[in-house]
Amino acid sequence: MVDLHASSDSEDIESDEELQQAFASGKLKPGLNVEVQAPKQHINNVSGMKQKLEELEQGLSWIDRLDLTNPPAPPPPGAAMETEDDGADIANNDFKRELRFYRQAQASVLVAIPKLHKLGIKTRRPEDFFAEMGKTDAHMKKVREKLLEKQQNIENRDKARKLRELRKYGKKNKLDFLEDKKGSGKGSKTQNRTEKPHQPNKRRQHKDTKYGFGGQKKRSKMNTKETSADMSGFSRKVHQSKPGKQFTNKNKNKGNRNKRPGKDQRHKMKNKKK
Amino acid sequence: MVDENMGKRSRKVFEQKQPSSGKKDDDNEVILEPVISSDEPPLKQTKWTNKQRVLVFSSRGISHRARHLMIDLRTMMPHSKAESKMDRKDKLFVINEICEMKNCNKCIYFEAKKKMDLYMWVSNCPRGPSAKFLIENVHTMSELKMTGNCLKGSRPLLSFDQAFDEEPHLKLMKELFTQTFGTPNHHPKSQPFFDHVFTFSVSDNRIWFRNYQILEEDGSLAEIGPRFVLNPIRMFEGSFGGPTLYTNPHYVSPNIHRRMLRRQVAQKYIHRVHAKKSLDERKPEETYAKDITDDVFVTIRPEQNNQNG
Repeated sequence: MVDLHASSDSEDIESDEELQQAFASGKLKPGLNVEVQAPKQHINNVSGMKQKLEELEQGLSWIDRLDLTNPPAPPPPGAAMETEDDGADIANNDFKRELRFYRQAQASVLVAIPKLHKLGIKTRRPEDFFAEMGKTDAHMKKVREKLLEKQQNIENRDKARKLRELRKYGKKNKLDFLEDKKGSGKGSKTQNRTEKPHQPNKRRQHKDTKYGFGGQKKRSKMNTKETSADMSGFSRKVHQSKPGKQFTNKNKNKGNRNKRPGKDQRHKMKNKKK
Repeated sequence: MVDENMGKRSRKVFEQKQPSSGKKDDDNEVILEPVISSDEPPLKQTKWTNKQRVLVFSSRGISHRARHLMIDLRTMMPHSKAESKMDRKDKLFVINEICEMKNCNKCIYFEAKKKMDLYMWVSNCPRGPSAKFLIENVHTMSELKMTGNCLKGSRPLLSFDQAFDEEPHLKLMKELFTQTFGTPNHHPKSQPFFDHVFTFSVSDNRIWFRNYQILEEDGSLAEIGPRFVLNPIRMFEGSFGGPTLYTNPHYVSPNIHRRMLRRQVAQKYIHRVHAKKSLDERKPEETYAKDITDDVFVTIRPEQNNQNG
């Protein structure tokens, strides 16, 4: 018979004597006793938290705190009104969740800006106000380039798709006109993207070296005039220095010092460049 | 009395001369006073009254992503101060002393454990409550998908979810966040206009943080970053210690989480064996009940009979 007995204070130390005593006093019943962990106690000291909150509050006016509490703004009328499943569901649905946060921020902004205007504070940054921004101009340039690249990719894909469609159903004249504009069929994509001259196919090159002209390397002669005068396998470091010198590092102590400046210097250089 | 009047008069003279020197500035020439007394105290700016200073630093063993998050927070908060990495061997109580030395009254401390887990402590330094969070899903400002930008040091609007007014522990966290993340009014390093908003939302028993740039006054926004998720662990009555006010019942420590995942993988084989066994037990010996009398009227053709016979 299995008797599950939750561990209590009296049975923390499981020495034989203690167990015997507990059995004698009737706390422990015969049978197999399995120790089960007591359910975890979670603390929620409401009164303590209230008191701390009163202590913490500074009693400042809204302009010093700038905090707003509001539900998310209603979605635009055109959007699909799906029932919001709060909790775990929306936390896993990335798009819905981010939209909800966006709408919450929007609602806050729509409340805060009029409030600030009432207090007579300017909220909009004028065009000629130049000040240090959180992200550098170089970084914003990269972001813009990335966005443009994405847009360009989409446009290219759409154009290519349109062209494919027209090829199937369009007239020849129209096709010629479009092809002149964009370049010929398969090559059009590459020509649109890069302006480099035609480069030989890498795969072709590799196969050429391996198998071209009769698979040269393996069948080549070894002791002809050309091969014996060929010095490409000679390493100056190995042969022209004394034995053992190949592996010593001349610049071990002093050379590297001047090559890469330390962390401090690099930080200063970076700030100077800015 | 004469001396006091003299002092006052000279100060007034000093003040009156200020606008005229401003006019001279417009001519691109700054002409200094012929005699400047070093006894004159500089004009005090009495507008900055809410003296909040936040100490933002981390422990050793922090990953590069967390380090960038910390740097981003320092950029966003002009009222923050930096500190070198602290050894995790020291007790957390030492942080209170560090804060006092730096004259800070709030602290954000990033604790990195096992080079994998990142914990964040937010605390009101001398007496006040502190909270420990587990940080998940960190994205920094320098990610190229964050397209917004804002003035460095402009005061953020703080937007809280409605859930923050419902639970006492969330109310306390809201007050702590407001005082820690909000830039004080007229802070000397702050910039004038309002162009970004911090969002704190509650979802799935976690607090989600976002930072948006206000593009237009009608409410169009772009995300600046950083973004992270805070999983509350505990709230303490004191700063970095003291009696516990609140523990989060939904919190699963990352170690236990990893252990559960490994157990699931290990359990795969055991589950399969169990499933097979249970299938064997559940499977009936006969798929359907067969009646012997069904064959009675089946005629055996003569060719088949010859083959069989």
